Amino acid sequence: MQSLKPSCKERIGAALLIAMGLGIMNAGYSYELGTLRHMGPGLVPFALGAMLSLVGLLIGATTGGGDRARRLPGHEVGHGAGQGEAQTDADWRGWLCILGGVVSFVLLGHFGGLVPASFAAVFLSALGDREATLRESAGLAAATTAAGVAIFHYGLHLQLPLFRWG
Amino acid sequence: MEQSLTDLLYGFSVALEPGNLMWSVFGVLIGNLIGVLPGMGALTTISILLPLTYFIAPVPAILMLAGIFYGSQYGGAIGAILLNLPSHPPHAVTCLDGYPMTKAGRGGAALGVTMMASFFAASVGIIVMIFLSPLLVDVAFKFGPTEICSIMLLGLLAGATMSRGSPLKGIAMTLFGLICGAVGTDVITGTQRLTFGLTELGDGMELTALCMGLFGVADFLVTINRVAAKPVRVKVRMADMRPTRAELKQAFWPMIRGTAIGTLFGAMPGTGPTITTFIAYAFERKLSKTPARFGTGAIEGVASPEASAHAKTQVDFIPTMSLGIPGDAVMALLLGGLILKGIQPGPQLITEHRDIFWGLIASFWIGNVLLVVLNVPLIGVWVRMLQVPFKFLYPTALLFICIGVYSTRNSLFDVAEVAAFGALGAVFLKLEFSLAPIILGFVLGPMLEENFRRAMLLSRGDAMVFFERPISAGFMTACGLLLAVQLVSYWRKTILAAPAPQPEELMSE
Repeated sequence: MQSLKPSCKERIGAALLIAMGLGIMNAGYSYELGTLRHMGPGLVPFALGAMLSLVGLLIGATTGGGDRARRLPGHEVGHGAGQGEAQTDADWRGWLCILGGVVSFVLLGHFGGLVPASFAAVFLSALGDREATLRESAGLAAATTAAGVAIFHYGLHLQLPLFRWG
Repeated sequence: MEQSLTDLLYGFSVALEPGNLMWSVFGVLIGNLIGVLPGMGALTTISILLPLTYFIAPVPAILMLAGIFYGSQYGGAIGAILLNLPSHPPHAVTCLDGYPMTKAGRGGAALGVTMMASFFAASVGIIVMIFLSPLLVDVAFKFGPTEICSIMLLGLLAGATMSRGSPLKGIAMTLFGLICGAVGTDVITGTQRLTFGLTELGDGMELTALCMGLFGVADFLVTINRVAAKPVRVKVRMADMRPTRAELKQAFWPMIRGTAIGTLFGAMPGTGPTITTFIAYAFERKLSKTPARFGTGAIEGVASPEASAHAKTQVDFIPTMSLGIPGDAVMALLLGGLILKGIQPGPQLITEHRDIFWGLIASFWIGNVLLVVLNVPLIGVWVRMLQVPFKFLYPTALLFICIGVYSTRNSLFDVAEVAAFGALGAVFLKLEFSLAPIILGFVLGPMLEENFRRAMLLSRGDAMVFFERPISAGFMTACGLLLAVQLVSYWRKTILAAPAPQPEELMSE
C-alpha cells in the first residue's frame, strides 16, 4: 500500500467507517429504539452507529491540510474507495492462501474431519510465502498435522473426529 | 497493612499449590517461548492459548494467562534487543538502544540489565498492587451503575486516544469494538441484534475468534512476504549476560525512574504500555548529560523503558481486577478470560474470590523469579528460536489458531469468524488503524450497555445524572479534559506547526 497516498488512505478509512456506521444505525433503528427511560434493544447500536459515522466524517474532514484543496470538490469519497482498492499492492498470493487455509479448515472440518482439515490449512497457507515449494509445504503440513493430532486429539480430546464423511 | 500481609501469605499458599504452580510455570514458559518467536506478541500468544483455559479450573487458568502475559513480554525484549524486531509495540523503544548494544557486542549485557530492571520493576509494581488494591476496593464499593458507566467511558476514551496513532482512529476502533460487543441476543428483550440472520451469532461473537482474527491472522496477512529473513549471528552465552560494574551504575537510576513512571501510568486506566515506554525513554534522554549517546547503545535507554513496561504491567492489574476496567488490550483479554470462567471482575472480586486475587499477586512474584531463573540458562535456546523462519512459523500458528478457536465452542462457524476478522483487521491495519482498542471496546461493551441501561432506569431517563453524582462527575470531567487535550494538540499541530513531523506519527511507525 506504499503506492497509496496517506490522504487517500484516510478517505478510504473514513468512507468505510461512515458506511458501517450508517448500516448499523439502520439496523439499530429496526430493533425499536425506546426512550432513555425504557431503552429498547436498538438504542445502543443506533447510537454507536451514529457515533461511528460521525468519527468517520471527522477523519475525512481532517485529512492532511496539504491536499485539502484537491479534496474539496467532494463526491470523491465513495469513488476513491473503489480506486484505492485497485491500487493496493497487498500481497494477493499471501492473502488468498492464508484466508484460503482458514476457510479450507472450516469446510474440510465439516466434510472431512480433523486430519484433512489440518493438512489443508497448513499446506495452503504455507504456499502463501513466495519462496515456498509444494514439497516443502506438504512436508510442513504433514508434520504439523501429526503434531496437532497428537496434542489435540489424543492429548486434549478435541471433539472433532479424525475423519468423517459428509 | 497487617491484613494485606496475611492475605499475601494466603496468596502464596494458593499459588504454591502444585496444581496451580504447574500451570503458572507452564504459562510463563510458553509465554516466554512464543514471545521470543518473531512476530508473536503478548496479544497473539494469549489469544492462541486462551482456549486452553477451557480445560482447567479458574484459579490455575488465570495464573496461566498472567504467566503467559509477562512471559511473552519478557521474550519480546529478547527479540527486540538481539534482532531489532519488536514483536510487541512497547519494545519498539527497547530496539533503539538495545540493538546498537548487540551490534557493539554488548547484547548479553543489555539482556542482563533488562532482566534486572524487569524484576525490580515488577516487584515494586506488585508491592504497590498489594497495598493499593484494598483501598481502591473501599472506594469501588461506593460505585453504582452510574459511576461504573462513567469510569468505563473514561477508560475507553483514554485507551482510544492515548495509544498509538491518530486519536480519532482510536475512537473509531473503540466504537467498532463496542458494536461487535452488541452483536447477539439482547439480554433484556431477547431481540437478535446485528446477527445478519445467522443463528450462530445469537450468543454474540466469540472473544477468541475476534482476537485471533485481529492479532493472529490479520498480522500474518500484513507481514507475509514482507519480512526478510534475518540471519542471526549473535552468540549470547550465560557469562555475557553479566553487565559490568560501570554499566550497572549507569542503569541504576534510570531503572528506578522507569519504575516510577510505569507505576504512575499503571494506575491510570487506558494508558497503554507503549506510551509509557516512550515517555520513560524521552524522560531519560532529557535528563541525560549526554543525550547524543541515546540511539547508539546507551544502556539507560534499555533499562528505563523496560522497567516502566514491567511496572506498568503489574500495576495495570489493579484497575482490571478491582474495578473491572482493563488498562489495555492485553488486560481486556485477561478480563475476557475471567468472564469466560464465570467470574465477574469488580470490587466484589477481591472479597468473593480471594483465592484468585491474592493467588494471582503471589504468582506474579513466583513467575518473575522463574523468569530470571529460566532465562539465564535458556538464553542460548531462545537465540536459536529467533532463527525459526517466518514461512514455517505462520502456517503452524494458523493451525493452532483454527483448532484453538474450534475447541472453545466446538464450532466451525467460529473458525470462519476468524477468517472474516483476519481480513477485516488486515484492511484496518493497511488503513493505519490500530486494532487494540477493538478488544477493549468488545470486552467492555456489554458491561457498559448493561450499566448504562440500569443507570437510566434508576434516574428515570435523566442523562444529567452522570454529571450530578460527585464521583461520576469527576470521571466525566476527566473525560472532558482528555478531549480538550486532544483538541488543543490537534489545533497546535495543524495551525501552528503544520510542516513539522508529528509525534504521534513517529510513534505509530
